[in-house]
Amino acid sequence: MSAAGPMRTCAEITPLLVFYACDEVNAQERAAIDAHLAACEDCREQLAEERAFQEALGSMPQAADSMDSASVLLAQCRSELYEKLDDLATPSVKERAPAFMWLRRWMALHPAWSGALMVLIGLVVGVESTQFFTGRDDANALDQAVNVRPGPRLTQEQLAKMVVAGVNLTPSMGSGSQNVRLQLSAEQPVVLTGNLDDMDVRQVLTYVVENGERFDSGVRLDCLEVLKLRAKDVQVRSALLTAARKDRNPAVRLKALESLRDSASDQLVRETLLESLQQDSNPGVRVEAVNLLVRSLDTTKPDSEALPMPGDLDAPEHATTAPRAPGLPPDESLANVIRALEDLQRKDPSRYVRLRSSTALREINERSEQ
Amino acid sequence: MPLPRWTLAFADDAGRTSNSEAALATVTSLANLDERTLVQEAQVGNRAAFEELVRRYDRDVLRLALNLMKRTEDARDVYQEAFLKVYKNLHRFRFECSFYTWLYRIVTNVCLDQLRRRQARPEDQAPELHAGQYEEGITDFFERQREHRPALDPEKHLVGQEIRARLATAMTRLSPRERIVFEMKHYQGLKLRAIGAALGTSEETVKNSLFRATRKLRSELGELR
Repeated sequence: MSAAGPMRTCAEITPLLVFYACDEVNAQERAAIDAHLAACEDCREQLAEERAFQEALGSMPQAADSMDSASVLLAQCRSELYEKLDDLATPSVKERAPAFMWLRRWMALHPAWSGALMVLIGLVVGVESTQFFTGRDDANALDQAVNVRPGPRLTQEQLAKMVVAGVNLTPSMGSGSQNVRLQLSAEQPVVLTGNLDDMDVRQVLTYVVENGERFDSGVRLDCLEVLKLRAKDVQVRSALLTAARKDRNPAVRLKALESLRDSASDQLVRETLLESLQQDSNPGVRVEAVNLLVRSLDTTKPDSEALPMPGDLDAPEHATTAPRAPGLPPDESLANVIRALEDLQRKDPSRYVRLRSSTALREINERSEQ
Repeated sequence: MPLPRWTLAFADDAGRTSNSEAALATVTSLANLDERTLVQEAQVGNRAAFEELVRRYDRDVLRLALNLMKRTEDARDVYQEAFLKVYKNLHRFRFECSFYTWLYRIVTNVCLDQLRRRQARPEDQAPELHAGQYEEGITDFFERQREHRPALDPEKHLVGQEIRARLATAMTRLSPRERIVFEMKHYQGLKLRAIGAALGTSEETVKNSLFRATRKLRSELGELR
């Protein structure tokens, strides 16, 4: 067997003659074709035709054959290319022109129209700017008007987000209560004006007092100043009690206790007073609790007498014993008050508080003896 | 290797020199540089180096364009479009092949695109110039240069003239790729593998194109002995 393998047919060889004639067959194909051509007259004729065809093609002049001797076209092409490269390298005139060049040119060519245009621009700017500033003032006025709202009731969400910017008290004409003006910042600025009969006002004031951690102590004191006028109101009293127990500022707790002065005989108030007596960290608050408790036992006694005189400080400690209060209402709370005062008299770290407790016990004892 | 400093000292921002002596010095020095250095200089924006590359290869580019397009105007368009492509894409050239190969590939593809556009809008195109028309007094570039062609035997010339006229007509019936492949094979003398590389296609595809082109032309031209 030859290198080309078995003899191929004419149908296989004929398509390869095109490539054979122009030397584009591999060694294996060449061997196969050569072997076939040696035995096939028709294919040899086909190959001769193919070669003649390619020779004819080769004899044809090409379009560029004569270019070497005349470089006119080449020179033209180069010139065109270099011009194009210049265009690419140089920014266009439009790009280089300064801004508003067209306007400057137009104004230079049309001085009269330019003057008119400038006057018109001045008028427009003047009118528009006046309207702008006026409109801005109006907008402020509108904000003010919107902020003075009776509006719908404040929601808990609004209350939770509000900040009290100011509490102003003004005497109310013809009524016993004071008018209060509350400046709030919630989702939008709000100004509330009214007395404690106004539900929103009361709601805001009690909310501030009950949620003391969110508000400034000065604001809380202002609110208490207003609320004390309605200490007998259940909602207000509840807020005052909360403040007396939980407010972190002793001045506020003290103020809350003072606000409850007229309600000291109330059971809840008395429990709160006892709690303050035993647990409050501030001696001033504890003394005020003692005063109020004594007062709760004798509402007719003037407040001034409840306070110890400076000379009392020299009185011997533990000079009194716990009285039994046979003349007093036989309720459990009285016994609790006395026990608390006795504990205070013995254990309170503040000498002033111990003295005041002792005085209070003596007063209660004297009253019981009468 | 970068250009010697003194050659660039005469060049302006665009790479061109400011006076004739300096220009001559620059051109002379650039002409002595190897292809790789010239390409590197052109890649960093040296216009003079790019122009030297153009001068070095544009004759071949124009010949190829003329042979493939058969129209002077088309060849000029191909010349400009090809070199502008080279100018804009030179920074992407990574020396994975010779610059000439890369340039040749761009030119053939521009020609292929032009032929396809021409085929898509035949009504916009002027008729092709073919060999027979050179003898009929048309006043274009080829006719002006006709006397410079090698003298031919009168008999062969007449026979050849007939064949050329028929061949030119037959070539218009080929697809753009068949035409390009045929031209590159028979008139540029390239191997099929090189044609495939230039056109960005396989050797087998090129082979098929050449076979179809040959068959079409043979059937148009009849037997040639």
